[in-house]
Amino acid sequence: MSRTLKQKLFEPPSIRQMAPGTKIIVYSILLLWTLFVLFPIYWVFITSFKTAVDVNAGPVFLPFIDFQPSLHAWKELFVFDYKDTLKAYSNSLIIALSSTIASVLIGSMAAYALARFEYKPKFGVILMFVIMMIIVFFAVGRYGVDWRLSCAVGVAIFVFLARALGHHFTKHLSNGDILFWMISQRILAPIVVVVPIYLMFQQVRLLDTHLAIILTYTVVNLPIVIWLMYDFFRSIPYDLEESAQLDGATRLGVFWDIVLPLSRTGLAATTLLVMILAWNEYLLALFLSTSKAQTMPILVAAMNAGERGILWWSMSVVIIVMIIPVIVLAIVLQRYISKGLLLGAVKG
Amino acid sequence: MTVVLDAVSKSFGAVKVLHDLSLEVQDGEFLVLLGASGSGKSTALRMIAGLETVSQGQISISGRDVTEELPKNRDVAMVFQSYALYPHKTVAENIGYPLKIRRLNRIDMEAQVRDVASQVQLDELLERYPRELSGGQRQRVALARAMVRRPAVFLMDEPLSNLDAKLRGHMRAELKHMQHELGITTIYVTHDQVEAMTLAHRVALLEGGKLQQLATPRTIYEDPANLFVAQFIGSPPMNVAHGTLDAGTFISGENRVATGGNDTVKNAVIGLRAEDCRVVAPEDGDIKARLFANELIGDHTLVTAKVGEDMLSIKAHKDFEASFDQPIGIAFDSEKIYLFDKDTGARIRNV
Amino acid sequence: MTVTDNTERPGSPRAVPSKGARERFADWLDLHAAHVFIWPAVIMILVFSIFPLVASAIMAMSRIRLRAGSYQVRFVWFQNFEKQMFGSEQFHFLGTFAGMSALGWVVAIVVTALIVWWIQRYVRTSFTVLGFTGRLFTWSLVLGIGWLAAATFFSGHHFGTLGTTLFYVIIGCSIQFLIGLGLAFLCSMPIRGRTFFRVVFFIPLMITPIGVGYAFRMMADTTKGPFSPAWQWAGLGDFSWASSAWTARSFIMIGDSWQWIPFIFVVMLAALESVPRDYVEAAQVDGASSWEIFKDITWSQVVPVAATVLLIRVIEGFKIVDLPNIMTAGGPGIATESMTLHSLFAWRSLDLGQSAAVAYLLLFITVVTCVSFFNLVVLKRIRA
Repeated sequence: MSRTLKQKLFEPPSIRQMAPGTKIIVYSILLLWTLFVLFPIYWVFITSFKTAVDVNAGPVFLPFIDFQPSLHAWKELFVFDYKDTLKAYSNSLIIALSSTIASVLIGSMAAYALARFEYKPKFGVILMFVIMMIIVFFAVGRYGVDWRLSCAVGVAIFVFLARALGHHFTKHLSNGDILFWMISQRILAPIVVVVPIYLMFQQVRLLDTHLAIILTYTVVNLPIVIWLMYDFFRSIPYDLEESAQLDGATRLGVFWDIVLPLSRTGLAATTLLVMILAWNEYLLALFLSTSKAQTMPILVAAMNAGERGILWWSMSVVIIVMIIPVIVLAIVLQRYISKGLLLGAVKG
Repeated sequence: MTVVLDAVSKSFGAVKVLHDLSLEVQDGEFLVLLGASGSGKSTALRMIAGLETVSQGQISISGRDVTEELPKNRDVAMVFQSYALYPHKTVAENIGYPLKIRRLNRIDMEAQVRDVASQVQLDELLERYPRELSGGQRQRVALARAMVRRPAVFLMDEPLSNLDAKLRGHMRAELKHMQHELGITTIYVTHDQVEAMTLAHRVALLEGGKLQQLATPRTIYEDPANLFVAQFIGSPPMNVAHGTLDAGTFISGENRVATGGNDTVKNAVIGLRAEDCRVVAPEDGDIKARLFANELIGDHTLVTAKVGEDMLSIKAHKDFEASFDQPIGIAFDSEKIYLFDKDTGARIRNV
Repeated sequence: MTVTDNTERPGSPRAVPSKGARERFADWLDLHAAHVFIWPAVIMILVFSIFPLVASAIMAMSRIRLRAGSYQVRFVWFQNFEKQMFGSEQFHFLGTFAGMSALGWVVAIVVTALIVWWIQRYVRTSFTVLGFTGRLFTWSLVLGIGWLAAATFFSGHHFGTLGTTLFYVIIGCSIQFLIGLGLAFLCSMPIRGRTFFRVVFFIPLMITPIGVGYAFRMMADTTKGPFSPAWQWAGLGDFSWASSAWTARSFIMIGDSWQWIPFIFVVMLAALESVPRDYVEAAQVDGASSWEIFKDITWSQVVPVAATVLLIRVIEGFKIVDLPNIMTAGGPGIATESMTLHSLFAWRSLDLGQSAAVAYLLLFITVVTCVSFFNLVVLKRIRA
C-alpha cells in the first residue's frame, strides 16, 4: 500500500484512489448489469410500437431508424378493446388499493397489540380449537352436514368448552409465539390454501368478486405488515401513549393520532411493498376471478391464448401500462423501501 | 378536588411494590411523593392516573371511586419526566390535543390554547415543533398541555429532573407560583428532597413501598417519624452516632450524653442536625471528637468529625480553621437531640 | 359516573354528567383494547389460512369428484400421497427410477456419510430431545433429497417436479444471492453514479412476474428475438430453447434471477451501508487490504441480514409458478414444472385430491427447509 498513514486517516477512500484497473472492472460490471436490467424493459417498450411485420421479420432495434414506430397496438387496446383493458385495470387498482389499506391497517393493529399488550393464550384452548375444527371438517366433508350448521355448532361448543375448561390449563404461549405464528404464515405457499378458499367463496357465492380477492390478498400480505411494523411500534416510547391516554384519547385514538403518524417511514415502505405485491399477484387471482373481477396479470396471461400465436405488440402495451406506475413509485420511493426491508431483515 | 387512596397495594407477580398506602390529598393541596428509586412513588402516581391497575384498595378522586376507571375518564392530567410531547405535532397542536379529543370547536380551542400559552410564555413558539425547543421550553409545553383542560388533579412525575440545575431552580419557583394561582390539587413525584421541601404543602415520604411519614415539610424536617425520615431529609443528612441508651443516658465509647428522658434501649441511635452542633474546645463539648476534614462551602464551613466509628457533620462559621486529626469538642442543646431505636428505626420520644 | 363539582372552573370542557351510548361503547372498546386490536388479524388468519390449511389436509386425503353444483368426497387416507411417491404419478413428482449409475451410488454414499457424520457430531456435542427430533426432520429431508438426486439426476434419468422446484430454489437462490451481494458490494464502493445504479438495479423487483415471463420469452426467441442474428450466425437458428429440458430450466432461472437479484441487492446494499465507518477505517489504518476488510469486518456485520434475506428469498422461491407457466407452461414435457404448477395442473384436470396432496408435499418441504434454515443458520448468525 502506497498511501501514507496520514492519507489513510484523514482522507476517506474515493474513486480517485481506486486503482485504475479496479475502476474499469467495477464500472464495466455495473454498466453490463445496467444493460442486462434495462434491455428487456427497452425491448418490451419498443415492441409495443412495432407492427406485426416489424416483429415477425426478425429483430429491429431502433425506432425511426430500423423501423417506423406505430401506435396501432396502443389504439387496439385503448380504442377498440378499451372496455376489457380498463375493466382489468380498474379491478387491479381497486383490489390492490383496498387490500393494501386493509392489510396495513389490520396488520399494524396486530403488530401494535403484540408490541404493547401481553397475551397468554392457553395451549389447551388452542388444541381444543384445532380438534374442533377437524371435527367440523369431517362432519361437512365426510358426512355431508350442512357447513353453516356445522360451523355454528362447532364454534358454539368450542366457546362453551373454552369458557368452562379454559382456566384449568396452565401452559400458555407468549407474544413471541403469536408473532412467530403470524409471520410464519408467509411460508405457506398460496397453492396449499387456494383450493379451500375457492370452495369457501363458492359456497358464499363470492367467487369472481372484488371482495373475495381483496380478502385473500389482505391475509396473504398480513405477515409482511406485522413483521415490518412490529419493531417500529416497539421503538415508540410508552410515555407518549400514556400521555395521550391521560389527555383523554381512547386506545384506538392513541393508535390513530400518535402511533401511526410516528411510524410514517415504516408505514410508507410497508404500504408500497404490499401494494406492489398485490398489484402483481397472479396465482390467487387466477383461481378466484374468472371474468368480472379479472386483474391485470390475468389479462396479460390470457393474451397467450390467441389463435395467431402471441401478439407481442399488444402484449407489450399491456405490460408497459401495468409496470409504469410501479416503476415510477419505485424510483421515487426506493430509499424508503430499502430502509423498510432492511429493518425487517435485521431483526429477523 | 380531593384524592383519596385507601389502603392501596400493588404487586407485580410475587413482588409487592406498594403496601397499603393510604393518603388523603385536600382540594388545592400540593402533595409531594418523595422517595428513592424503587420506593413505589412512581407506581403510586401511575395508579392514581390509571396507567397501572390497583391490586388491592381503592382510589377516589373528587369523592368518586375511580379504581376501575379508565385513565381518560379520571379527569387527571400528567406531566412526564420525558415531557412526552408528540414529536409530530406543533406546540399549539400539542397543547390543544386534550381539547381536540373533547371535540371542542376550533375557535374556543384556539383561544384557550393561546391563553394557556401566554401563561407559560410560549406565545412566540406555538408554530414550532418540540424538537426545535430547548429543555425548559419543552417543559412549559408539557405544563401547558396539562393546564389547558383544567383537570381535577395534576400529576407530575419528576418533571424537573431533565433540566439543568439553574433552570430547575427557576422552574420550581414558577411551578409553585402557578399551582397557587390555579389552585388545582397537585401530586408531584420526586426523589429530590429540595424540590419536595420547597414545593410541597405536605410531603409523603415513601420507602420500600411503605409510607414513612406524611406531614408538612417543616414537620418532616423538625419532627421526623423515624430514623429513615431523619436521614433522608436534610443536607447534609442528619448526623447519627450509635451506642446504647441507659436510663436516659446515651453511651457511646467514652462519651455520655444526658438525653433528658429515662428510657433504656440496647441498640440506640442519637441524631443531630449539622446546624444544631457547634465546634468548641475539646473540654467544653458535650462529646469529644477528632477533626476528620473541613470544607469551606461559602457561607459556612462544613466540618466532618470522627466520633468512635461514626462521622458527624457540623456547620461551623466560615472562618473556622483547624488542622487534621486535631481533637475537638462538639456542643449542642439537649432538646435538639433525636433518639431512635436502631433495630426498629422508631423514634424514641422523651415524654 | 357521579356528577363532579365543576362550578369553580367555568368555560372548561367538562365530562358530561352521564355517558351516552357512544361513550359507553368507546369505554367498552378501551377496556377490551387488547382484544380489539388483535382479533381482526387472528380471525382473518384463522379463516383464510388455518381453516383452508386443515381443509386442504383433508382434501389431500380424499378423492373428490366435482358434480354439477356439488361434489362428492371419499376419504382415502394416504392414497394420494402414495400415488405421488410410489404409484402412477411417481415419474411426475419424483422422477424416473431406472437403476443407479456409478456416479449415482457415489453421490448417495457421500450424502449418507455426511448425514451420519452430522448426526454423530450433534449427538456428541449437544443433545436435547427436542433438538434431536427437530433435526430428525432435517436429516430425513436431506437424505431423501440426496438419494433422489443420486437416483435421477446423477444417474442420467429425468426428475420430476420436486427436483425442478429444488433446482429453482437451491441453484437459483444461490446464484441470486451471490450476484446480488456482489452488486451490492460494488455499489457500496465510493463510485460516481451510485444513485443511478441503485435505482436502475431496483426496478425489476417491481415488475409483475407475468411481464417478466413474456419479456424473457421474447428475449429468448431464436427467430424473432433481439438475439436471433447471433443465433443464426452461430448456426442455431432452428434451435428452440424451449424444446430442451436444461435450456428451458436455465431460461426460467435467468428470468427469475433478473427479477429477484434486486431484492437481495437492495437489502444487502442497505446493510453494507449501515456498517459503521469507524470499523472499516480502523482496519484501514491497521493496514488491512480491501478483501480482508470485507471478510473480517463487513461480512461479520452483515451476516445476520444476509441469512435473513436468503431465508425470505427461499420462502418465496418455493412458490415459483408464474414464470414456468408463462414461459414454457411446464414443458418440454414436465421439465420446467414447479410443484405449484404441478398442483395447479392437477386442479385444472379436476383432480382435487392429487392437487392438494402435491400442495401439501410442497408445504412440508418448504416448512422443513425454512424451519431448519431458520434454526440452524439464521438464529445462530443473529445471536452471534
